[in-house]
Amino acid sequence: MKALHFSSPFVFLAILLISLFMVDSAQAEYGDIVINNYSDDAGMRPAVFPHWFHRVRFRCKVCHADLGFKFQAGGNDINMLKIIDGEFCGACHNGEIAWSIENCGMCHSGIPGTPIQVHGSTLQQLVTPNKKATAGDK
Amino acid sequence: MNRTFIKLLISLSASSLLATSALAGIDEGKTTYDTLCGGCHGTGALNAPVLGNAEQWKDRVAQGISVVEQNAIKGLKMMPPKGGNPSLSDEQIIDAVAYMLSALDAPANVVNTAAPVSSAPVQPVVKANTANTFNRLLKGGKEEWNPDPADDGIHDPDHEESYYLQSPKEAFEGLPESRYGNHVDWVEALATSAINPRFDRLDADKKPFVLDLNIVREVKGSMPNVVYPHKQHTEWLDCSNCHPAIFTPKKGANQISMASIIMGQQCGVCHGKVAFPISECRSCHSQKKEVAAK
Repeated sequence: MKALHFSSPFVFLAILLISLFMVDSAQAEYGDIVINNYSDDAGMRPAVFPHWFHRVRFRCKVCHADLGFKFQAGGNDINMLKIIDGEFCGACHNGEIAWSIENCGMCHSGIPGTPIQVHGSTLQQLVTPNKKATAGDK
Repeated sequence: MNRTFIKLLISLSASSLLATSALAGIDEGKTTYDTLCGGCHGTGALNAPVLGNAEQWKDRVAQGISVVEQNAIKGLKMMPPKGGNPSLSDEQIIDAVAYMLSALDAPANVVNTAAPVSSAPVQPVVKANTANTFNRLLKGGKEEWNPDPADDGIHDPDHEESYYLQSPKEAFEGLPESRYGNHVDWVEALATSAINPRFDRLDADKKPFVLDLNIVREVKGSMPNVVYPHKQHTEWLDCSNCHPAIFTPKKGANQISMASIIMGQQCGVCHGKVAFPISECRSCHSQKKEVAAK
């Protein structure tokens, strides 16, 4: 049981690696992003962005270079005003390229209280092995 | 003390304990063990001696049963007083100790040949398997992956629109498969035109600027070298996505480590989130090293 001594970085890394590959019973779509910068406080369900749905239709570059989305969950200061003005999601979700923002619940469909995350990511499994508990509490 | 003597001492003390203690005490001790002590003594957590493991118990038993009992009651090192439940009586703790010591004579994995003990009401000890599952390749049944949105753990099942959203299984129908992430080989899907995502938001015909340039990174240790293909990356991404913020566009200028990748930096900005995860070692570490002359 010496492995419980976290003083050794190698042992720590080994434990991280082991916990990293533990598989949960419920697996969401890889790369789904929960965005909850303001939603909870505003009484809305958090927004869920499915990468898989979008990458079938657009290459990464369209959003991450042209539209300025940073590669960080919750790292983009998105709000509904900007979307209405055609920024971020609003560049496509305007009723012309994709359905428009009156379909609030299509994006704001997360379980209330779900923290910002890249669901199913390696890092998430590393930091919070029990994803269900993380998603459920708060 | 030599080993034979210790063994003798253990069996003597344990069997004398069996003889002197009321056998009913062991039964009651088992109840306490099952509800409390087994948390650590069944698993070895916090360096606790494991039930039935004579090697771990011998030095403790050698101090005398009463010392073991007092340690259990008063606590020692990581062992909290009364196993962390002060509402238990001393008697209950002593019974639990008696039960654990009785298990030394009849460990579950040893055929019980000792005649004197066979009459003791000791149940075979089944140890719970609490070891982590090591699933390096993130293998899992197909059904576990890509559940419908309402069942995925982040979409609210009590929300009508969660059921309007497309099911990923439906979207992935006919796409080349992989064994990780969402079980779609996205690079292959693009290469075989199974999907044709736009490179421009408005212009469906705009083609990406594909750079066909491999960068070989020599790595330490015995792992094969990393071959980084610009080609597959520039099919999806713009140069500015990685350069210069994430990677300095100069060979040898970037210090990359698996630790930082795991933590979501460098390659880990995408790999492990939306691109294949690091469990696919050989997808990057793909160039065999020349074996050094002996």
